[in-house]
Amino acid sequence: MANITKRVSWSSLCEDRAPGEGTALLDDTPGARRCRRQEETLKQPNEIPHNEKLLSLKYESLDYDNIENQLFLEEEGQMSPMGFKCVEISRWVICGLIGFLTGLIACFIDIVVEIVAAYKYKIVKRYIDQFVVEGGLCASVILWAILNSAFVMAGSLVVAIFEPIAAGSGIPQIKCYLNGVKIPRVVRLKTLVVKVFGVICSVVGGLAVGKEGPMIHSGAVVAAGVSQGRSTSLKKDLKIFEYFRRDTEKRDFVSAGAAAGVSAAFGAPVGGVLFSLEEGASFWNQMLTWRIFFASMISTFTLNFFRSIYNGNPGELANPGLINFGQFESGAYKLYEIPIFICMGAVGGVLGAGFNALNYWLTIFRIRYIHRSYLQVIEAILAAAATATVSYILMYCSDDCQTPGEHQAVEYPLQLFCPDGQHNSIATVFFNTPERSVRNLFHNFPGSYNSLTLFLFTFTYFFLACWTYGLTVSAGVFIPSLLLGAAWGRLIGNLLTNSGVSIFADPGKYALMGAAAQLGGIVRMTLSLTVIMVEATGNVTYGLPIMLVLMTSKIVGDYFAEGLYDIHIKLQSVPFLGWEAPATSHSFTAREVMSSPVMCFNRTEKVGTIVDVLSNTSAKHNGFPIVSDFTTNEPGRICGLILRSQLIVLLKHKVFVERAQLKQRKLLLKDFRDAYPRFPPIQSIHVSQDERECTMDLTEFMNPTPYTVPQETSLPRVFKLFRALGLRHLVVVDNENRVVGLVTRKDLARYHLGKHGLEELQLAQT
Amino acid sequence: LLTFTGSSAMVSLHLVPRLIALLLLLPGRIRSSSPVFNSLLSDLQGDPELEERCRDLLRDFGRRYESYVKCAVPSARPVRICENCHIQFEMLRVVYNNISSDQSEGSGSNRSATFLLRADRLMLVYMLFQNLEDVWDVAHCSQCLSGDGLSNITLRYMAKLNQSLSCFESQKNNHSELCRVCRADYKDLNEFYSIMEKNQTLCIDIEDSMNATRRLWSKDFNCSFPREETVPVIAVSSFMLFLPIIFYLSSFLHSEQKKRRLIHPKRAKSNNSLMNIQDKHS
Repeated sequence: MANITKRVSWSSLCEDRAPGEGTALLDDTPGARRCRRQEETLKQPNEIPHNEKLLSLKYESLDYDNIENQLFLEEEGQMSPMGFKCVEISRWVICGLIGFLTGLIACFIDIVVEIVAAYKYKIVKRYIDQFVVEGGLCASVILWAILNSAFVMAGSLVVAIFEPIAAGSGIPQIKCYLNGVKIPRVVRLKTLVVKVFGVICSVVGGLAVGKEGPMIHSGAVVAAGVSQGRSTSLKKDLKIFEYFRRDTEKRDFVSAGAAAGVSAAFGAPVGGVLFSLEEGASFWNQMLTWRIFFASMISTFTLNFFRSIYNGNPGELANPGLINFGQFESGAYKLYEIPIFICMGAVGGVLGAGFNALNYWLTIFRIRYIHRSYLQVIEAILAAAATATVSYILMYCSDDCQTPGEHQAVEYPLQLFCPDGQHNSIATVFFNTPERSVRNLFHNFPGSYNSLTLFLFTFTYFFLACWTYGLTVSAGVFIPSLLLGAAWGRLIGNLLTNSGVSIFADPGKYALMGAAAQLGGIVRMTLSLTVIMVEATGNVTYGLPIMLVLMTSKIVGDYFAEGLYDIHIKLQSVPFLGWEAPATSHSFTAREVMSSPVMCFNRTEKVGTIVDVLSNTSAKHNGFPIVSDFTTNEPGRICGLILRSQLIVLLKHKVFVERAQLKQRKLLLKDFRDAYPRFPPIQSIHVSQDERECTMDLTEFMNPTPYTVPQETSLPRVFKLFRALGLRHLVVVDNENRVVGLVTRKDLARYHLGKHGLEELQLAQT
Repeated sequence: LLTFTGSSAMVSLHLVPRLIALLLLLPGRIRSSSPVFNSLLSDLQGDPELEERCRDLLRDFGRRYESYVKCAVPSARPVRICENCHIQFEMLRVVYNNISSDQSEGSGSNRSATFLLRADRLMLVYMLFQNLEDVWDVAHCSQCLSGDGLSNITLRYMAKLNQSLSCFESQKNNHSELCRVCRADYKDLNEFYSIMEKNQTLCIDIEDSMNATRRLWSKDFNCSFPREETVPVIAVSSFMLFLPIIFYLSSFLHSEQKKRRLIHPKRAKSNNSLMNIQDKHS
């Protein structure tokens, strides 16, 4: 495994540096200074193993900046104030729909999982009970393992074959989307279908996973679909909401969808809004917040309503979320318990960092070696079988027998070798869906689990959950983290209760704090997670301790390793822009950051030139400055910017100056919207030899007022512009307004603060 | 389920001594015909007939209450309250219903009921009966009763229980023999109990007796299933756990490592970023 640990950093290949050691950019040792870029390029291998210090070319930026060309201005000018009001109203309608559909999907997943899981557990329980009596228990292990594997195989096959992007929780991907990175296929209908099916399979398959994370992705897909009023996959266009067919508007709805997903998952509408704010949206305003909150509320209400119908008492709105932590009866905590909670937060941070570090190595290994889809499916199947086996061994060896209480009916009690009338205690956590196990740990009366059981469970589940996250199945990490934390939290609670001091009464409370600490230690969310936990328990009293726990776990965890989602974003080589530029980057100027020379076009350009530039596979540019007085040697003065997608639409409609008389109508903004978001590749557009000689007038379509910066602008300043405005291209000009370079997201994202100071990521084909 | 029900029933039973004390006081108070009762303070002054009726009812209630409690307390352990005392409880319920539904006289309102049940803050008669009724409900006694006796299913259970217990009795000295001989009876009993549990026809008597029998079987006679298949289970499990290891090893060794092709972007030539930084800092 040694070669996994080897990191290849761009400057590590100088002779006087030990290989594998990252070198700081700002390191002023003389050895480093002698490195020449040119030498390096020669020596550097063109192919390196995958590592976290790469930026993939596959990811493009989203166009969050409106293209204010003449068409746009004309259209806006024609809209009456009434028209703007209608747009505003339709935004609200869309948000309501997003909430409704997300809630409906959550409800569907929940009910199907409940039914199928009940069926599975009943079968397995029947056989285990029977085999205990008649002998042949190893057959029941095999049966259980095979049942689990079959479900997981179905889920994994669908994910691996049809839509690999649907693997995992989807939260990292949505985070990237909201950050402004276009992750291919992430918000398609097909992804949603695969995701929903995959989640059902993996939860029923008994993996250490939850269905909450994927809800967030599902909500985002719903939002992206509904707001467009059409589905490209189904080839259905309802001809509504056409105004919203652009990245800027879609982004707002996607953040609403993510919020609705959280809200449905945890019954936490406020938590959902804050999740969007904290994890997702880089762009925010008050009206948007209010609309997102509306979507969240509708979503949790819808789930609640349909679940009440399913449970046979319609209108009794008692189940706001997929996971219900239940009511804590002994709602109070004492002042002297706060230090204990804080210590638990630290434990959670350490365990979470361990979890993330382990998962990091595992993920690198997976990316490097397990990249074929059949291997991925086999891996998932093996994980499912192993999960069943490990659970079985623990249940088999456990001597912890409990008598069920009247108010805590155990759903699938397994007696195994317990005395009659009692059931195996560890089976209540393993032989159950994870949500129910969490609730059991929170609420079963003191003494339901002995400490050894809890310890064994924590130990095994830690590795199982860590192993499972990153498999090619769609599943989230929220519930496993909660379950893990609840187990060791309850263990601490047990130890305190048994310590002879009667002041620590309720181990369930400690289970809750442990769950918060563990989850915080893994995902490192703060504000939104606090609110989610508070809302899911329905107990505001616990607000302060939960907050303290999450704070400590984040501080402690950050000291050792990054959050799980950030790790996965990095490993996917996504050009993700943080909140701020790396701390020590002030010495960089736009001149060093930008790409140069830039491919430019004239206002009226020959079609042949445009087609050639667009077809150039070695440099797939997306934005082209329009310049005047453009010669091959001298850069011209900037007068606009045009995007590849626009050029493709123009070519497709053959908007050539020479054909102007033949054209029936003028090209409208609508034509661009109709092509959005899947613009055809240049190869699919046929341009005849004749047409190559024509010219195109780009004046009308280009953005005449692109953002530009002088060459001396510092990197943090450029960064701020990008982050705040959601830019995709930033033109760098000299003092005569001549184009000298172009800054894009990847140029900025490649600087990152590593262990040895500022490091630069490399671009790679993935 | 059993212990828990038992314990909450026990909580209610704690009230019993207090109830008895109250009960003993109650008839005494009435019989003594203290001046207070006959005085102007009586709610029903001017209606001696009604007053007399009420006292009759009250006396009746006291007697039946006494007989029920006398039955119930000795049946507390092992719990036989439903079986032994259902007749007494039924009688008590009848007289209480008489009191609460008495509306023979007066101006339409059930005056005797008001007089006895709701005239004061304590509402002693009501509370006494309510407590007993709660005990009865918690014990689920009604689930074992039908008409005026034990239900058929309860009787069948009792028969099976006796069969098992007599088998235990006969083989008391040799436990391993007991496990073998009585297994059929016990299994039959256990299954019957499970069915009753599913149909919710259990009351505390049955739960408690089954609890005790199971304890005898599992703990005292040690007839639970032994963990005897450890070797095959371990073998199968370790095989299952071995598979992932093989899988990872083989994919590490045989699968070609995924390589990334690096791209060198165009940068402004003279301003090589690296040199630039280094120069700035030197």
